[in-house]
Amino acid sequence: MGRNKEREIWLAIGGIFLLIYPFIFTLPFPQHIMIMIFLYASMGLAWNMIGGYAGQIALGNAVFFGIGAYTSSLMLMKLGVSPWVGMLVGGIISVIISFGIGYPCFKLAGHYFAIATIAIGEIAQHWFLNWDWAGSAVGLKLPILPESFIYFEFHKSKLPYYYIAFGIFLLTISCTYWMDRSKLGCYFRAIKGDQEAARSLGIDVARYKFYALAMSAFFTSICGSFYAQYVLFIDPDSVFPLMLSIIVCLIATLGGVGTVWGPVIGAFFLIPVSEFTRIYFGGGGKGTDLIIYGFLIVLISIYQPFGVIGLSKLFKKRETA
Amino acid sequence: MFNAEFILQTVISALLMGSIYALVAVGLCLIWGLMEIVNFAHGEMLMLGMFSAFWMYTLYHIDPIISLPLCMAILFLIGVATYFIVIKKILQAPFLAQILATFGLGIFLRYLAQFMWSPDFRMIQNPALAGRLRFGEIFIGIPELTASVISVISFVLLYLFITKTETGYALLATSEDRDAACLMGINSDKMYALGWGIGAACLGIAGALISNFYYVFPEVGFPFALVAYVAVALGGFGSIPGSFIAAIIIGLVEGVGGLIAPAFKYTFVFIIYLLVVFIRPQGLWGRY
Amino acid sequence: MALLEVQELSKNFGGLAANYQINLQVYEGEIVGLIGPNGAGKTTLFNCIAGFYPPSQGIVRFKGKDITGLPPNKICRFGIARTFQLVRVFKDMTVLDNVRAGAFFRSNRGIQAKNKALGVLDFCGLSSKKNMLAGGLTIADKKRLQFANALATEPSFLLLDEAMAGLNQTEVAEAIDLVKRVQQAGITILLVEHVMEVVMPISNRVVVLNYGKKIAEDVPEKVINNEEVIKAYLGDKYHASHRAH
Repeated sequence: MGRNKEREIWLAIGGIFLLIYPFIFTLPFPQHIMIMIFLYASMGLAWNMIGGYAGQIALGNAVFFGIGAYTSSLMLMKLGVSPWVGMLVGGIISVIISFGIGYPCFKLAGHYFAIATIAIGEIAQHWFLNWDWAGSAVGLKLPILPESFIYFEFHKSKLPYYYIAFGIFLLTISCTYWMDRSKLGCYFRAIKGDQEAARSLGIDVARYKFYALAMSAFFTSICGSFYAQYVLFIDPDSVFPLMLSIIVCLIATLGGVGTVWGPVIGAFFLIPVSEFTRIYFGGGGKGTDLIIYGFLIVLISIYQPFGVIGLSKLFKKRETA
Repeated sequence: MFNAEFILQTVISALLMGSIYALVAVGLCLIWGLMEIVNFAHGEMLMLGMFSAFWMYTLYHIDPIISLPLCMAILFLIGVATYFIVIKKILQAPFLAQILATFGLGIFLRYLAQFMWSPDFRMIQNPALAGRLRFGEIFIGIPELTASVISVISFVLLYLFITKTETGYALLATSEDRDAACLMGINSDKMYALGWGIGAACLGIAGALISNFYYVFPEVGFPFALVAYVAVALGGFGSIPGSFIAAIIIGLVEGVGGLIAPAFKYTFVFIIYLLVVFIRPQGLWGRY
Repeated sequence: MALLEVQELSKNFGGLAANYQINLQVYEGEIVGLIGPNGAGKTTLFNCIAGFYPPSQGIVRFKGKDITGLPPNKICRFGIARTFQLVRVFKDMTVLDNVRAGAFFRSNRGIQAKNKALGVLDFCGLSSKKNMLAGGLTIADKKRLQFANALATEPSFLLLDEAMAGLNQTEVAEAIDLVKRVQQAGITILLVEHVMEVVMPISNRVVVLNYGKKIAEDVPEKVINNEEVIKAYLGDKYHASHRAH
């Protein structure tokens, strides 16, 4: 009981801090970092649903990010529809596509499934690279509209973007929290643990895998739409790349797969690290931050595949021993 | 536009490329069949092979054809080192860790190369192998032809090694049933290291060969590796001759696909992968 | 009418007939033992009934309804649960979470499932370990957990595949006690067993398989003395030499 109360207090403090953060750090850069943290944390949480909980190592989530980004952008540019609607439509389309992906792919196991998701991600990227109506390789430059909430454009400060990103983050983490405790979460864990045993307990494994991927797709897609409105420029290389799919997997793994807070911890650690290495080691496409990513990924896989949370559980065990 | 000679030219070029892909795929297949680990850093190791040849040429004026054995040796060591430093530690790890480990290694190598050698495209300017042969309207590049021939020879040597020598048998035994092999006195640790060494050595050979006619840059390995994954899946898990033939088929698909829609030639390759694993998951010649 | 009815069931793997024209009835409230030498086809029969794979021929009926070839999760809906020979529990989940996975089958809401799971854990004697990770349990406790998972789906019929293998004497006694209590709770049981001291005392009837065929079916005392059964286990020579005495 005491531990739960303690947790709640920390949560409350954290929440309040994040709420007033933009008023403490009023410069755009620290606000931008936190927005990126919220975004990547949400995507990490989304990946966690299919990869961490249900145990299906999907390495193509960028597909959903890209679909979200392109759907809301195209609907805005070609039909003048509010990006909020576009975000929702993008989410729905992503869910439908996730069924299309899951239907054949869930019959595969292990490496074959992972490579299949990579293949689908690559196909999507190539498709958009060559789709003239959607801007092909040049990409889409979103129109700069007068400041408005409906059209999701804010020019005077990053504050609205911050709170929207925070909102998306809260939505995703609440959903994860609810899922973790519910029948869905229990079934996901069982599927991850032993599919055949799960089946013998009446679990319709295929159906629940679909649920996991659909949820993952939806939240990733929303992040894609947000990204498009935040940066006002998208192209296939920025929203469909394999690296993005790997990063969201890494974020969840770094913090701890299959846990509610794992991806959050992962994002809070990884994003600042990557932003700062990008600054200190110079940009210019040298990709120095990626050297560190690569090294980190190998390190985690070898020494603590259960992430930071796995580490902390180890410490707790040692304390009580 | 698509007259017979043009198509023949494309097919021949594709077959040549295919045999080079096959050498790349065989290394992957060996590792995959031996310990069920997919080397997601395969493309980056090939890239290192190519850079080895490039730097030996640029710094020491050693032609790739001569440095080929050296490249092979260097990559062999890299493969063995990878096994002991990374792979050995994740043999019992959860599946996610196994995928991420080699992926991470690949990313690390790729961007380290980019950092050290810049992302610029390099080319070996005057390799010993140059020029082309002409058969009527068909042109065959000498570097490509040599690469293809040496790839096939290497594959045959490898195949003979695995099926006819005692060490090769030991490798096969370990891949079939590691514990049973252990009981027979086969040191599976050494076998795994050997497997990685040989798999990487293939990339050393392939890298030296490819550097004769292809640009060398940090991201060069990725498309080759992609074809390799598809080839191993198409050929069938654990079947070395299977992956060889499959790679040639894919070379053909890529070549012909490139004729039809150049921007989508890799898409065709991926679609083949998806079709294969959905329709015949065990591949064409696979064990499972 | 029999609760479970197996009619002319055959299962072929390539050229091998693992089960051949097996007929079997299990009546409500019974414990039926399924025995036979290694490779007789006992687990194959189980897998056909439980939906692991469909039989090559024949019909499986439960409560009069045809369930042949249905997948395991649909079979569960009819009220059939099973345990596995090589124990299968969810290693990275807690004991309580394991049983919740079973309990959620009939109870959709979290609280309901949790209470049901706690009840089943209590019945199986695992309450004290409810927060332990399943992977850290002893083999006996893992088997009990597997048992509890199956019970949590509220089956009316339980298929137990070698539930006693690998247990010491005390553990076997505890397991027998558990099986009997399950029968008293009204659940019908078909169990595969190698350990004769277990099967004979608790079974109402025993069915014997050999080389995929049913060779005997009777009450335990009569089965022990059945010629065919003795031949199957101990070989023709033994039987002949003993007959000669």
